[in-house]
Amino acid sequence: MERNINIFICLVFVMAYSFNTYSQVNKVQVIKNALGNFELQRNGKPYYIKGAGAKAHFDLLAQSGANSIRVWSTNNNALLDSAYNHNLSVSLGLYVRPERSGMDYNDEYAVKGQIEYLKNEVLRYKDHPALLVWGIGNEVDLRYSNFKVWETIEIIAKFIKEVDPYHPTMTVIAGVDPSKAFYIKKNCPSIDILGLNVYGSIENAGANLRKFNWEKPYIVSEWGVNGPFEARKTSWNAKIEPPNGVKADQRKRRYLEIIEKDKELCLGSYCFLWGQKQESTATWHGMFLSNGNPTEAVDVMQYCWTGEWPKSRAPSIKNISLENIGWRKDHVLSPSKQATLRIDYFKYNNEQVTLEYILYPEAFSNKIGGDIQLSPDPINFEIIQKIGSELTFITPSKKGAYRIFAYVKNNKRQSSVANIPFLVE
Amino acid sequence: MKLNIQIIIGFFIFCSLSCGSMREVSIYEPSKSISAFDQFPYKTLFTNSSENGLWGVKNNNCKEVYFDTKNSFIGKDHLHIKWDASKCNYIGMGLKWSNYKPKNLIPIIESTAIELRVRIDSGSISNTPMFFILLDYGGNQCRANINYLDLEGGKIDTQWRRIRIPLQAFNYEKRGVNMSNIKELRLEFQRKGDLHIDNILIVPHDHNYHKAKATFKKVFKSNPIQLGVGKEYWWGINTKYSSSLQFGTSFKNESIVVDLPQSKESSWNIFGFSPYQWLRIDISNIYSTSALKFKIKATQIPKLQANFFAYTGKKRRLFKILNQSHFIDKGDGIYEAYLPLKAIKGHGEFRWDELKEIRFKILGGGQFELGDFQLIEFRGNPKKPTQWKGI
Repeated sequence: MERNINIFICLVFVMAYSFNTYSQVNKVQVIKNALGNFELQRNGKPYYIKGAGAKAHFDLLAQSGANSIRVWSTNNNALLDSAYNHNLSVSLGLYVRPERSGMDYNDEYAVKGQIEYLKNEVLRYKDHPALLVWGIGNEVDLRYSNFKVWETIEIIAKFIKEVDPYHPTMTVIAGVDPSKAFYIKKNCPSIDILGLNVYGSIENAGANLRKFNWEKPYIVSEWGVNGPFEARKTSWNAKIEPPNGVKADQRKRRYLEIIEKDKELCLGSYCFLWGQKQESTATWHGMFLSNGNPTEAVDVMQYCWTGEWPKSRAPSIKNISLENIGWRKDHVLSPSKQATLRIDYFKYNNEQVTLEYILYPEAFSNKIGGDIQLSPDPINFEIIQKIGSELTFITPSKKGAYRIFAYVKNNKRQSSVANIPFLVE
Repeated sequence: MKLNIQIIIGFFIFCSLSCGSMREVSIYEPSKSISAFDQFPYKTLFTNSSENGLWGVKNNNCKEVYFDTKNSFIGKDHLHIKWDASKCNYIGMGLKWSNYKPKNLIPIIESTAIELRVRIDSGSISNTPMFFILLDYGGNQCRANINYLDLEGGKIDTQWRRIRIPLQAFNYEKRGVNMSNIKELRLEFQRKGDLHIDNILIVPHDHNYHKAKATFKKVFKSNPIQLGVGKEYWWGINTKYSSSLQFGTSFKNESIVVDLPQSKESSWNIFGFSPYQWLRIDISNIYSTSALKFKIKATQIPKLQANFFAYTGKKRRLFKILNQSHFIDKGDGIYEAYLPLKAIKGHGEFRWDELKEIRFKILGGGQFELGDFQLIEFRGNPKKPTQWKGI
């Protein structure tokens, strides 16, 4: 009798464990709701994506009102676990090599090898409870010429349909145009959602999708401020980056007036980038500084996701000028001469803020998309005086292209940054 | 006579002895030839540090290379490299491969692979950001990476796993590498990693994969060409959202009926089409003697902007606003429009071998239909398109 009870208890444990493992898989699907709008549902409940491209700062992300992260590849299992622990779902990228990285989609060996590898990754992650959507490929269309890449995307999407009925498939493109919409529609019937990485082109993205007869839903898989590739350049080809305050306003408008308003086709979005990366400058897309300090972009996203500003707000640099010439213009200075940098900023509710300045050589790069760029090292420079929001300094003695950064931070390390490229000649 | 007899006897004995010492050979035995692989003398690239030369093994901020004597696959030691590319543009090392002797890989290119053994200290990974580069004596390089199909067990873990890089996997044709004159093999590392490497060899290998020749290009060498055949290659027409632009029926092939108010600019006033099935269209041989021709059914000539888009190139878009000089009134409300491609500003910088799309923007509104888009031969004055007698 006692033996039977033991067996029964063991059986109950095994069943409970099995059920627990199974029930951890969150069932995600795309439906059309009563209003005729596309809707993402997770375990049967509407799930509007308030997300960020993120690999860190998950505490603050969840605290700011986000519910999802997007990652670009499967090379870091810990990210999914960490996201899950923060109650964040994951749009998980399956890294499909873009042609610009040297991949040849006419090469059967390379193509098959990649597909088999990614199938294995699908099997590895399909039951992860944080998984929301599969992101098959990121910007494979950027400067591509071999449209066979869509066959690879479809093979993987179709495989996912076979082995994982619970998570929709998405492929992510670098902006939309009619040819891409045509090829994806024609070649990738197993793709459920189109992911759009759109910066300046977010303004017309929804309308264009309709014009291109895209009939499935979309996710704004990357969005933010206009990218370096869209920026005006100085006469020496340095890209002109708007101050944080200007960028923050742009982010807020784009979220509230574009993303949130498209209820019919848009399933949500992932802002770029909840972290820091070098892309022309160290501060262009990143919502954090390289030292981990959050910028005002974080506050903006909290406002977008929750409708409320954080109690403590980052200061905001609205304008920056060098020698009384604004940031939109070219700045050409003489070597070893005195120059004055000035910023205009809002303190908001901060009693005290600190100002810092760092000088870098210009980081010219011909990399595109999300390709990795190296950050330059800062340069020592002579400061004559700092009065209020004005810095007087000595320009470098060596001729060349430079960029000076101004940082304002409060006592909680919330920061705002702006920079001006200048040429010494 | 006696001498002759002796010679005959001697010859007979010689023949008998010779026949007796002959080896028996089966006529069905195959001849033994030495394979190209067997003949290739430089099969070993690395088995241990004392026998095989390497460069790039000095440590710096981005890499740490040393010869680890513990748990080698073969020989007294093996390579152990740790790298972090976040602060370096390039992390690599080279195998001198028989002390830089020029190596002719052509005879073995289809039947061999570079084989190596790898392992990591803990855990399991399914890939590592490592590339293999063959360098010829002209300084040209071709590369290949680790393919999942030739990674033993589909993973790198604490066991010595076999990786093969078939010589066919190198992009030597694209990079113009002289495979008959190879100097060295380089290993290049990206991102971050920590890897043990040993026993790098040339081995026999069957590589049964092919390269397709898809170009997604359509070359046109003569006019006329009917453009945009097939509604699926058009965009801007979606009656769910707008009735301003709809497909019409007045002309041969596709046409668009435009119904836009004159008073204000509509947001739905653009349509476009692929000249041919969204392929990359090459009209570079004929563009300078070509004109875009189409028909319009209207009570008056509408204001149109024609745009041409290329898939690639520095100048991806050309445009031209059409004026009265581009139209011929054919009567009964039918007009023919002629736009010589040479009349478009910037045509010389445009990649006519990469033509992607023709797009129209309707300026100012109106009710009309346009269609039957063609590329025709045009050898007249581009500034006076309708006055050429060839039309």
